Amino acid sequence: MNPVMTPAFRLGLAGLATLCMALPTVAQSANLPPNRDPEFLKKAAYNVDKYVAELYRSKKLTVPAVVDDPTFLRRSFLVSTGRIPTLDEARSFLEIDDENKRQMLVGYLMDTDGYRSHMTNWTLDLLRVQDQFGNNNTAAPYVEFIRQSVADNMPWDKFTQKIISSKGSIWEDGNGAVGYFIRDKGMPLDNMANTMRIFLGERMECAQCHDSPFNKWERMDFFELAAFTHGQYEVNKGPWDMVRREVREAKEERSEFGRVVDWLGDNVHYLTLGGGGDARIKLPSDYQYKDGDPGEMIAGKTPFGPRIRGSDRRDADDGRVELAKWITDPKNERFSTIIANRMWKRIMGNPIFDPVDEYVEPDKTITPGLVVYLSGLMKELNYDLRAFQHVLLLTKNFQFAANPQAFDAGMPQAFNGRQLERMSAEQIWDSLVTLTAGNPDKLAKRQYSDTIFYNNRPVLVGQKSMSQLSREVLAIKDPAAYRAYVTDLLEQFKNDKGPKGKDADMMMASAVRPGPASGLARASELPSPSPAGHFLRDFGQSDRELIDSATKEANMAQVLAIMNGHVEKMVVSNSGAAVYKAMEDGSTDADKVRFFFYAILSRPPSDAEMNMLMRDVLDGSQESYRNLVSALVSTHEFIFVQ
Amino acid sequence: MFNRETMKADELTRRQFMVNAARSYLGVTVAPMLGASIAGISLGESAKRGSGPGKLAEHVIFLNMSGGMSHLDTFDVKPGNKEVQGPVEAIATSGDFQISQYLPKTAEVGGHMCLINSMNSKQGAHEQGQYLLHSSYSPRGTIVHPAIGSWVLKMKGRQNTTLPGFVSVGGNPKSATSGFFGAEYAGVPLGRPDEGLKNSKLADTVGEEDFTKRLAMADALNKGFHEKYQTPQVKAYDSLYDEAVKLMKSEDLKAFEISRESGQVRGDYGQNGFGQGCLLARRLVEAGVRFIEVNLGGWDTHYDNFTAVEGRAAVLDQGFSALIKDLDGKGLLEKTLVVIATEFGRTPTIVSEHSNGRDHHPSCYSCVMAGAGIKGGTTYGKSDKSGHKVDSDGVTVQDLNATIGYALGLQSDKVLMSPSGRPFRMAGADAELGKPLTSIFV
Repeated sequence: MNPVMTPAFRLGLAGLATLCMALPTVAQSANLPPNRDPEFLKKAAYNVDKYVAELYRSKKLTVPAVVDDPTFLRRSFLVSTGRIPTLDEARSFLEIDDENKRQMLVGYLMDTDGYRSHMTNWTLDLLRVQDQFGNNNTAAPYVEFIRQSVADNMPWDKFTQKIISSKGSIWEDGNGAVGYFIRDKGMPLDNMANTMRIFLGERMECAQCHDSPFNKWERMDFFELAAFTHGQYEVNKGPWDMVRREVREAKEERSEFGRVVDWLGDNVHYLTLGGGGDARIKLPSDYQYKDGDPGEMIAGKTPFGPRIRGSDRRDADDGRVELAKWITDPKNERFSTIIANRMWKRIMGNPIFDPVDEYVEPDKTITPGLVVYLSGLMKELNYDLRAFQHVLLLTKNFQFAANPQAFDAGMPQAFNGRQLERMSAEQIWDSLVTLTAGNPDKLAKRQYSDTIFYNNRPVLVGQKSMSQLSREVLAIKDPAAYRAYVTDLLEQFKNDKGPKGKDADMMMASAVRPGPASGLARASELPSPSPAGHFLRDFGQSDRELIDSATKEANMAQVLAIMNGHVEKMVVSNSGAAVYKAMEDGSTDADKVRFFFYAILSRPPSDAEMNMLMRDVLDGSQESYRNLVSALVSTHEFIFVQ
Repeated sequence: MFNRETMKADELTRRQFMVNAARSYLGVTVAPMLGASIAGISLGESAKRGSGPGKLAEHVIFLNMSGGMSHLDTFDVKPGNKEVQGPVEAIATSGDFQISQYLPKTAEVGGHMCLINSMNSKQGAHEQGQYLLHSSYSPRGTIVHPAIGSWVLKMKGRQNTTLPGFVSVGGNPKSATSGFFGAEYAGVPLGRPDEGLKNSKLADTVGEEDFTKRLAMADALNKGFHEKYQTPQVKAYDSLYDEAVKLMKSEDLKAFEISRESGQVRGDYGQNGFGQGCLLARRLVEAGVRFIEVNLGGWDTHYDNFTAVEGRAAVLDQGFSALIKDLDGKGLLEKTLVVIATEFGRTPTIVSEHSNGRDHHPSCYSCVMAGAGIKGGTTYGKSDKSGHKVDSDGVTVQDLNATIGYALGLQSDKVLMSPSGRPFRMAGADAELGKPLTSIFV
């Protein structure tokens, strides 16, 4: 939005002059669509604030103060890019004097790779994306699809349609979305319950087994919905099954041939979704209500919003397409309202209605006008989540000071000042990475290619990719042809001597193994989820088994990690860590202290703090500065977002 | 600025560091909220169980089979009913019951076990089911309920005052929450048993004196923040720093090091996270830790149930049987309650389209109790002939948790108030739903 900010922040102090001179040229908009029009975003933020002001007036609430620059700086960085600012970024922002600098900072942040990284974490949590599907089969194309969609800022309705209506092989170009169903292979009912919760804010998991005592859903409603995704199978599995049986009967599972057959089962067939959704389903054998019989075939039917029906006489082949259309139908207010509420929570800390994924009619919320406005704004911005969050970041509401009162359950928190909250596991990790390496946008990323890896070795590079291989395998109609194909493939694998010709090196270089980055990297580039016992997990990263199951609760492992673990090893005792740039940048002890505060807490020290440190702590030795760094990172101020 | 003599004293707590630091740095007295919240509550007198031949449990080892363990393929076999049993055969045990062929070693310790085959709940989703199992409550948007381990710690108090009283190995940290009780009652999560309690020793890059200076400095720098934000979330970290410093000085830290066990013993438990977790649990019981949870995931066998259950059961079989034998051999079993629990069972119906999978089945499933005065070799409650519904003596999750309390001599229906003034019980909201199974004890 504000390209002019980029060089300013990259250059640190040297860029300040440029930044100040360039200010007047900011918003120029002509015929831009709303989601790309800075003026529109500003106006929308103003409208949001009008509703908020009205709420404060009508409820006679005390309007919170607006935060100071350092708090705004740190909060904006953490909320939009998931990390603290570097020393240079903090100085650039804090040391210039310009009334528009908050707006400009937000524009700058939303354009950085940090936004992509942080939003990727959010999406992986929401969809419970893991690096492996069941049976340890790779989910790399699915992870890649999620990452690419976030990087491209794919509109939320398109994204939703893409995953719900997906079918075919995961290896087809851009078809990683089908991983959404493969993730839950064998449990289509749970998958449906999750779909309703994620996209429409309806909790139907209880109705899988019985009429829900807590809400309106009956078991029949659930099965009528589940009909749309019913009929999931692996593509063209017949020939494979026959060949696999022959292999088993001949006890040849361990033979080279047998291994390739198993490998194809895991790497090609498992990663497919056949059928488009039957739109009809049989009631389960323990169906217990009067409105249907166990085993009775029922037609798909949507429980609210625009009515869509299937037939109980014959299978449809587009049940999932129809379902996707229904979920994202602009007349289905739940869809835009739920994602707006999720984004509100992401930026403001608390959702407007809580839990974030239980839909409430706008009239029953604390601020009906705002809910309706945000739902409409989401549509007007064409479901552009980045633009929508940009609007929220521009509001006065975002700038309100945190409420120092303890969280009191039962009180509407959304508008009582921001709630003090610990950083998420990812925010803490990425902030430590920042202290270690500076701006982490350039660090190693996850890698992806559709190279064939057999026995952990890239094969047929430049000749055949996973998508070609999968297309060929899935087209085979009979067992004899399948056998012949496997025999031939095995020969090709064995005879493969790597790519030839002048591009051979380049080809090998691009034949990367899909997967997490190695070495120092942001949380979004590490395994999903991190292995048990990793710093991220100790600080509450989601195990990505359940929706949004991350936690911010304190535990002993965290405190030990801060005192004796990663903080000490990555940052404090690492004299090459970026945070020690403060030593070089500061010419006097007082400057150095100030810069350490900027780099770690994003604020200058108070006079009392400075006096105390100068008098009692710092003796000019490296050790005394290390102690300072350790102490600053160990403060509660470091791990809480104000 | 530091008094060397004071700093070196072993019994010195962080609180004292802080007093010194605050005095020397800022000339103020210590912030009053620090450490003040650690007030133990013990309920020795009002316990329901306390007389009779069985000893009261001092410890609980809670083995959580997360994902929904198939009851039919483990502890509630239906020999002869091929339609629901599939390929699984029943085998005899040293107790008065049969179990699945997947659990041959467990069969040998059957004489110590009581099978509860009439468990039932209304929660058929993992999240709600695990929450209920761990707290006796359904999840609510307005409060986080303490985990059972946290209840035990709150009501029974610590035995070893320098080690954490509640440790959770390999599980979801949310299941080790102390809810509204405060962080000192929370389970310490261990990702991997072989790593023990990571970072519990001073890093080799820092000396003790500098370490002390850092803590004191952090305290001084926290002052402004503390004055502004006195929330439970912030206080939680304060009490944990106190605990952590105590822990770092503990003589008993070696309890966390399973590498001190012989290769033979480690092998007996199984070379996997769960088996080694069971071994760690035994060591922690010896060191006086009250409640240890060990998690074994992967029971969500919608797809290819029999292959998956066979694999999970092999891990459970080795770890559990080794644990019972080891505890018994060391004379610890009589004061340690061992529980195998899960959030629900799995359908008698075998879903052939999902390579013979089984779906969630909360209306009837199995849990196991052993040790601590439990009558071994027995069963409690029955399911019907297909394991579909409870036939007699149904047991709720709240009953199960009440029974854990009972084994420890706790009054599980005692009401404790949350800080917001709401009443809660270890055995859940409804006193009728949470009744201890007193008859399974000697």
